[in-house]
Amino acid sequence: MTKPEQSALALRMTGISKSFPGVKALQNVNLEVREGEVHAIVGENGAGKSTLMKILAGFYQPDEGEIQAAGETVSHWTPREARDRGIGMIYQELNLVPDLSVAENISLGAMPRRGPFVDYRTVTVLAKSVLTELDADIDPGTRLGDLSISQQQLVEIAKVVARKPRIVVFDEPTSSLGDKETRVLFDVIEKMRSRGIAIIYISHRLQEVMEIGDRVTVLRDGRHIETRDVAGVTPDQMVRLMVGRDLSEMFPKLDLELGETVLSVTNISRVGQFEDVTLDVRANEIVGLAGLVGSGRTEVARAIFGLDPIDSGEISLRGKVVRITNPRKGVAAGIALVPEDRKGQGIIPALSVRENFTLAVITRITNALLIFARREKAIVTDLADRLKVNPPQIERPLNAFSGGNQQKVVLGKWLLSEPSLLILDEPTRGVDVGAKADIHEIIGEFAQSGGAVLMISSELPELLAVCDRIFVLHEGNLVAEIPRAAASEESVMRAATGQVSAA
Amino acid sequence: MTDLKTPAVTFDKTRTPGTLFSTLSIPVAIVVLVVIGAIVSPSFLTVSNLTNVINANSTVGLIALGMTFVMVCGGLADLSVPANVAMGALVTLGAQPVVGPGAAALLGILVATAGGVINGLLVGYLRINPIIATLGTGSVLLGLSQLLIGGGIVYAQPSDLANFVKSSILGVPVLIWIFVIVALILQPLLSRTAYGRWNLAVGGNYQAAAASGVPVRFTKASAFALTGLLSGICGTLLALSNGQARPIIGTGYEFVAITAVVIGGTSVFGGNGSIFRTVGGVIITALIGNLIILSGLPTQATGLITGAIVVGAVGIDAYFRRKAGRE
Amino acid sequence: MKGFTISTAASRVVQYRLLVMLVAVAVFGGLNVDDFLTINTLQSVIDRATVVGFLALGLTPVLIAGQIDLSIGSTMSMAGITTIFLQSYIGNIPAALVGLVVGVLIGVINAVLVVVFKINSLVATLATLLVFASLALLVTNSYPLSSSDPIFGIPLTADFLAIFTPRSAMFIAAALIMFVWLKATPSGRNLYAVGSNAPAAKSAGINANGYLAATFVISGLFAGAAGVLQSLSTAAGSPVAGAVMLIPAITAVVIGGTRLEGGRGSSLATLGGVLALGALTAALEYSGVPSYTQAVYTGLLLILLITLDRLVSGDGTTASRTHRRVKVEPTTPRIP
Repeated sequence: MTKPEQSALALRMTGISKSFPGVKALQNVNLEVREGEVHAIVGENGAGKSTLMKILAGFYQPDEGEIQAAGETVSHWTPREARDRGIGMIYQELNLVPDLSVAENISLGAMPRRGPFVDYRTVTVLAKSVLTELDADIDPGTRLGDLSISQQQLVEIAKVVARKPRIVVFDEPTSSLGDKETRVLFDVIEKMRSRGIAIIYISHRLQEVMEIGDRVTVLRDGRHIETRDVAGVTPDQMVRLMVGRDLSEMFPKLDLELGETVLSVTNISRVGQFEDVTLDVRANEIVGLAGLVGSGRTEVARAIFGLDPIDSGEISLRGKVVRITNPRKGVAAGIALVPEDRKGQGIIPALSVRENFTLAVITRITNALLIFARREKAIVTDLADRLKVNPPQIERPLNAFSGGNQQKVVLGKWLLSEPSLLILDEPTRGVDVGAKADIHEIIGEFAQSGGAVLMISSELPELLAVCDRIFVLHEGNLVAEIPRAAASEESVMRAATGQVSAA
Repeated sequence: MTDLKTPAVTFDKTRTPGTLFSTLSIPVAIVVLVVIGAIVSPSFLTVSNLTNVINANSTVGLIALGMTFVMVCGGLADLSVPANVAMGALVTLGAQPVVGPGAAALLGILVATAGGVINGLLVGYLRINPIIATLGTGSVLLGLSQLLIGGGIVYAQPSDLANFVKSSILGVPVLIWIFVIVALILQPLLSRTAYGRWNLAVGGNYQAAAASGVPVRFTKASAFALTGLLSGICGTLLALSNGQARPIIGTGYEFVAITAVVIGGTSVFGGNGSIFRTVGGVIITALIGNLIILSGLPTQATGLITGAIVVGAVGIDAYFRRKAGRE
Repeated sequence: MKGFTISTAASRVVQYRLLVMLVAVAVFGGLNVDDFLTINTLQSVIDRATVVGFLALGLTPVLIAGQIDLSIGSTMSMAGITTIFLQSYIGNIPAALVGLVVGVLIGVINAVLVVVFKINSLVATLATLLVFASLALLVTNSYPLSSSDPIFGIPLTADFLAIFTPRSAMFIAAALIMFVWLKATPSGRNLYAVGSNAPAAKSAGINANGYLAATFVISGLFAGAAGVLQSLSTAAGSPVAGAVMLIPAITAVVIGGTRLEGGRGSSLATLGGVLALGALTAALEYSGVPSYTQAVYTGLLLILLITLDRLVSGDGTTASRTHRRVKVEPTTPRIP
């Protein structure tokens, strides 16, 4: 990888400051990105990364400062101007239209015309050429909503690349991707870089930053802290810069004596999702469920909890066979599921923290008819404190809190139900470093007090640090059960990519 | 620690100008209307006039109470209300000669509730769009009701029940008593029971509520069943107090009910709402109608002014909501 | 395997529902009514469907954009009243044009409420429905206005190309033009984008608010056209003419297959729905079924179709989890 130290600057943002009522989001931030560079930006939630990018994209106007790009120096611009100057944004939330075709999505907003009509031939040709460039095997005529998440992301990238951008910003691009798709993404980024495109890469995943980044800028509390070459920095150092304190034990691991078997799943199958999966979790144990995206992990979790039915097989809790056909039965049986999709399935945005916390157990804190308001408040205040919800204002609507806090509330909601089995699906996705450590601590405490934990995560380091055993799924089949001692990124990945036959 | 972690948050929920506005706006509006009324006509601020006004709106008020649940749980609106009211009224009077007034009234209410249950099944369990579903069932039921009586009119037989409905207890008409009692039952149901919490959650985020173990389909369905029940009661009371009933008896009631709920500050999108606020909305709507009549404006102007007020109320609320929320 | 065939049969029925309906109506009508399967009937059906048809057509872009317009009935009444009222003052054609303008104006009001004041379209158009229904009653004192030139409107329902009348030809032409617009022009495709994912459309530089506003104006224009045509043909401006048309219009659109969720729909589908509904209504009427019973049948049909549709195709949510099983084979596989 050549490092174009002397290459031209594609982007320079100087002295950017931005305040919202009551909050200083950015103070005097500088950023320089060279052509053909992958420049990572890291920082906790609220550090100012997305505000800075929104200013770059033209959605916000900075109070002070300048942007120099494509030979222009402006103090702010409109989104359209930003786009015309060659700035492309790829957000975590895909900006695609499900009901139009892939080709139409790629040309959206700039459709080639023939007279008053759409020139469909050109649209298709353009789509095909861009998709081929990105090595994406997608038929441009497919309805976009019918594609998988990672395929949709490729279309999003195609859409941006089709406009021949000079600067492309990736905002948490891998949070919905598994390792295989991440590889594809990195290939694409590599191709873009070799064409001289300046790439800004925002991510919580420091491993990825180490792998793909040339330089990294750390933001904290709206200020620019440091910009370093990736080669000369370690993840620990980055964390320290981001957080301002030493997080020595990011993943606290307690060695516990394991209790009886809490969950025993035997040969469960669901047509089209997973087949013949057998696993078990014991009290005080944290078991990981690994696999590539699409391998069926979430589907297995949902089936155990009762959100989806199983076609065959048996699920037992504490030795007793159970038939769980809906989430209410799941809760009654002592299972809890913290879902992957926080926004869609985890939180009720308009309701307060208190109301969200008690949603799963609301029938338990009522007498014959009415809710015990005082008891509810007491329970919730105590819980918010224990989970370090910040700021601890339980009457505030949940949509006013950061992703990390929201995740804590979802977790807390389920802890309140006092489950024997806690299933977690990507519990620290989109969560900042501080909250992540808090969440791991909470999970550890839960296991210590006798709970059983089944944890799905696409972040191998997390699984390796936290789990006692790791089950691996590949294409819907259980292919490996790896104990902590034998677990490594290699061994898990090997199993996840199908290079190991079923145990 | 400052709000740096949540930069987009600017206000605490309880202190937004918007929320303050909504909390105060109902009593303020009522006071303003009363003042206007006193100015417009000397007969406004009399006990008999005000009693009449509330009395006349008690029946449609019942529907507004049910509509509150429908809106809160995200069911948008129940447009089959006129049909259920008509069914309740026509069956109550039509079955009188056969089974007697009491049983006929119960039967009427039952039929309307059945209509509501069908709505509930379609919207809650089959997840059909509530606008279409209720428009459909409404037109079916209304057609059926017209079929039942060959498109004419049904008269009531004199009965103790009818006399009771038309009478007053302690100087307050029975209709108002019924409205108040039902409101007093439904208020804690929405705000202080698990069932009420379920409604709020279902309207706030259906998927998340389902994933949290809330019986989402039942919750949504029950809101429509409840509205059907209340529509039936409304129709029965109307029929008994008027002494007659025609299929058009409930025309426009769904709009009045929705107006009252919206003026009361409940969002059409669901996730928030309260019975007390709907009662406030009913009172405001009633006062507006009364003001129009007393000031000599033609009755057709009622719809006009009500429509304009709905727009005003929702517009202002939307404005404050946007100001106080995230960018 | 029995379940398999039943569900495929059901989904086929839903897919070809319009065809099934037309065939069923043709059979039913042919058996029960003399001279049903004639050119005359066809002409009559298409002609009578015109007014509802315009309403339904105007509603289609609104639904594609993910909104709803409940005020079309009131708009229709207002436009019709205006036309009849002005006929004696400024002449027939100008009066008709002013009627259309009235429709556009109400559409603009809706647009402002939804786009500028950010009021939910259900509530906003409910309010306009109320306001203008009342206004119509107020202005006419609850009586229909009589036309000063009843002869002018007669040619609208005369013979034209054997199976059309001038006004139904206008309707068909409008449907075809809208179809081309929706499917083959950039602005049409952008409309689908706005309805399917408005934030994404906005990011792509599409003026989502502009499109939303335009759909309400279109809906108002078409509702105005419906009112003008209706009032001229009947030589009367009725303040309640439009009120009863809302449900048939929505029914027609839904029968045609356009959904209320936005992002999908087609004017040809609406056209088909309008014709199918018109045929059904005609068949029932010729068989002597009274109008309120017709309402029962139409309502039942609506519910039946919607239910079948839901049972067959599920929740209609886009990109459900099961679709994640689609495999992507990157052409350059990498081993980590």
